[in-house]
Amino acid sequence: MSNLIKREIESPNERQNRHKAMEAIKVLNDLREGFKVPPQSMEYFYNLFEEVYCHQKALHKGKVKVGTMCIQIPSEIIYALDGVPIRLCNGFYTDDEIGSDFLPQKACPLVKASVGHLASQNITDKPDMIYSPTTCDQKTKAGSTIEGFGYDVVDVNFPRTKESEISREFFRRSIREFSADLSSKMGKKLSKKNLKAAISKIGYAQSLYHRLSEFRKSSAVPILGNDMFLVTNAFFFDKIDNWIGACEKLVSELEQRVKDEVHVAGKVSPRIVYTGSPPIFPNYKIPLIIEESDAIIVADETCSSNRMFNDRVAVDEWFVNDMVDSLADKYLKACTCPVFTKNDDRIRRIIELVRSYSADGVIYQAFAGCTVYELEQRSVLEAMEKAGISILYIESDYSPSQHGQLSTRVEAFVESLKIKNRKRS
Amino acid sequence: MKSKIKDLINNMNLAKVRFWTQLVTFVLFVYGGYFAIDLGSELPIFACPYNGESAGACYLIPLQHQLSMPAKVLLGGAGISVIVGLLTFLFWFIFLNKAWCGYACPIGTFQDWLTWLRKSMGIRYSTYTQNQFEKLSKIKYILLAIVLLVPLLMGVGALDSDWSAAFCKICPARIISPMFSGDLSQWAIDFSSITAMVLTSIGMIFAGLFLAGSFVKKRFFCFFCPMSALHYIFSSFAFVQLKKDGSKCTRCGDCYSVCDMQIKDIADDVTSTNILRDDCIMCLKCVAACPEDDALHFDIFNVKAFSSTKEGFEKRMGIEKPKGDRDE
Ligand code: SF4
Ligand code: SF4
Repeated sequence: MSNLIKREIESPNERQNRHKAMEAIKVLNDLREGFKVPPQSMEYFYNLFEEVYCHQKALHKGKVKVGTMCIQIPSEIIYALDGVPIRLCNGFYTDDEIGSDFLPQKACPLVKASVGHLASQNITDKPDMIYSPTTCDQKTKAGSTIEGFGYDVVDVNFPRTKESEISREFFRRSIREFSADLSSKMGKKLSKKNLKAAISKIGYAQSLYHRLSEFRKSSAVPILGNDMFLVTNAFFFDKIDNWIGACEKLVSELEQRVKDEVHVAGKVSPRIVYTGSPPIFPNYKIPLIIEESDAIIVADETCSSNRMFNDRVAVDEWFVNDMVDSLADKYLKACTCPVFTKNDDRIRRIIELVRSYSADGVIYQAFAGCTVYELEQRSVLEAMEKAGISILYIESDYSPSQHGQLSTRVEAFVESLKIKNRKRS
Repeated sequence: MKSKIKDLINNMNLAKVRFWTQLVTFVLFVYGGYFAIDLGSELPIFACPYNGESAGACYLIPLQHQLSMPAKVLLGGAGISVIVGLLTFLFWFIFLNKAWCGYACPIGTFQDWLTWLRKSMGIRYSTYTQNQFEKLSKIKYILLAIVLLVPLLMGVGALDSDWSAAFCKICPARIISPMFSGDLSQWAIDFSSITAMVLTSIGMIFAGLFLAGSFVKKRFFCFFCPMSALHYIFSSFAFVQLKKDGSKCTRCGDCYSVCDMQIKDIADDVTSTNILRDDCIMCLKCVAACPEDDALHFDIFNVKAFSSTKEGFEKRMGIEKPKGDRDE
C-alpha cells in the first residue's frame, strides 16, 4: 500500500530519474541487441552506463569532484591533486527540457541539458566546484547561470586565436592560475612526482584509445562507432583505473577480432568519418541512425571522443612549471574546436582522418543552436568538395522526434556512397 | 628484420644517443691533438685551435685569413685556395648538415652540459619572447658579415692588420675552448693597439655572456653563431635533411615546446617539406617529441632514417601502464 502511494506522488527528481533511465536504457538496448556481435568487453561499459544513469549509482563517494564544462581543463592536474574530473557536458533530452527554463529557446541543446542537469540538483556525483573555460558564447555565459544555482564556478580564460604566440602565453598563464586555484582548494601542492604520474596515467589511457582506433583502420572493422563513443564517453566520469582496465580488455579482444577478420558491419557498408557537435550519451541519435543505415563510423573528429585523446603532452625538462605549460599547450594548440577564428586545422584533420581510415564519406552534425558548428559548416563543406570527399551536413537536436526525416537523409547519403564504391570497383 | 631495426631506431632514447655521441665528438675534437689527430682546418664547427690540443680547426679561421689577402693576390692565383677551402668545408658539411651543431660542435656540447648543470640545480630555463626572438635571430648574419667583410676591407687596405682575425678576437670560443685543456691565458685583453684592445674586450664580454647565457637559456650562443648562418646557405645540398609531412601534423606544438632554438615553424608550418630553419641545430629533439606517425622525419639521401612515431613518443615520454587500484 505505502508503495502505491509513493508512486502516486512521484517527486520531480524521481520523474527526472525515470525519464532519464528510459532514455538511457533505450540506447543501451539498441547497442546490446540491435547490431551483430558486439565485443564481449563492451559489457563493462553497457553496465556502467546502466548503473549510473538508470540506477543513479555514485562512483566517487568521498572524493573531491571537479566539474569541467569543456575539454580544455587539464584532467592531469586534477588527478595530480587527488581530485576526480567530471565532464559536465550532457546529452539527456529530459535535462535539455529543464534547461530550457534558464536559457533562450534557440540555445544549444547540449548547453541547455548541462545547465538543466545542474539546475535540478539531482546529480549522483555532484561536483564540489566547477571550472568553466570561456570557449563558445553559450558555455561562457552558462557559467554565471550555473553559479546562480549555488555552485562554485570559476571561469578559466581561453583565447580564440590559437595561432598567435600571445594566445599561447595567455593560456599558459590561465592554466597556471587554474592550478593555483585548485591547489589551494584541495590543500595540496603540485609536485614533480604527482604531476608526472598523472601525465603518464592519462598518457597511457590515451595510448589505449590510439590502439583501439588503429584497429578501426582495418578493412574488417571490429567495433561499432557507437560503441567507441560509449567507451570515450565513459572517460567523462568513470574511475580512471577501471576505465583503463576495461579498455585493456577491449584492446586484446579487438586484436583477436582483427586477426579473425570479424567485421561488425556489412561487406559493402560505407566507412564514415563523423564530425561536428559531440554525441554525448544518450544522444547517439545521429550515430545510431548512421550505423542502422548500414554504414560504419570508423573515426570521428569530435570533442567527446577523438579530440579528448588524440593530442599528447611533450615535456622537455620535467619541472612542475614546464609540465603545466606543456599541458596548457596541449589543450590549446592542437585543439580543433570551432570557437577559434580559423578552422584550417580542423579541415586538415578531417581530411587526414578520411585518408588514413580509408573512409568513403563524412557526416557532419550540428546541433540546432550550436552556432559555432553551424557557422563552420560552409567552409568545411567547401573544403571537402575541393578534396573530392563526399559529405553530408545534418542539423539535429535532442528531441526524440524528427527521427524519420533524418534517417531518410542519412540512408540516401549512404546509398549514394555505395553506388560510388560500386562504380569504382 | 628491416622493420625491426626501424622500430628500434624510431623508439630510441634520443637524449642518451645524443649524450654519448656528443661526448665522443667532444673528446675527438677537443683532445684529438693528444692522439695526433688532425682533421684539417676547414671544419664546419667551432673546433678552436686556440686550444692547442684541438683535432682540427674551425673553417672561419682560414676563411678570414684567405679573404684578407691583398685584393690583387686574391683575384690572382690565391683565389684558388679560397675555393679549395670552401670545397673542403662543404665536403665536411654535406655529410651532417646542421647536425654538426647538434652532435659534434664542442661549443654546442658545452652549452648542453651547462644546461644539464642548471637542470640538476632545479632551475628552470628561460626563453625569449617572439619579438626578442625575431630581432636577436638576425645577429648571426651581422656576425657573418664581420667574418667576411672585415678581411676583405683589410685586403683593399681600408683596415689595418690589427683587424686580422677580427671575429676570432670577439669569439667566445677562442676564450672558452682553451679552458678545456686548462689554459686560461685567453682571458686577457690585448693592449697592443686600440683596435685589439676593443676587440678582445668585446671578446671577454661575449665569453662572460656565453657562460651566463647558456646557463639560463638552452643553446644561448647558437642563436648568434655565424657558422650557423654560413651552414644555412648550403644546407639544402646536404645528404641529410629534416623533413615534415604537414598533412600528418596536428600543430599540437609539442615539437616547438621542446625545441632548444624556439623554432616556431617546426610546428606551425604545414606546407614546407624541408623544415630546416636557419637557427636549427638538427638535434632532432622535435622528431623525438612528435606524437604523430611520420609527421617529422630525419632523412638520409631521401630515405627516412628516423621518424616520429606514436610508440617512440610514448617510450621517450615515460608513458607506461600505471599501478592503480581497480575495483573487482
Ligand atoms: S609535434 Fe608533430 S604533430 Fe605536433 S606540431 Fe610538431 S610536427 Fe606537428
Ligand atoms: S627544429 Fe628540431 S632539430 Fe632543429 S633545433 Fe629545433 S628541435 Fe632541434
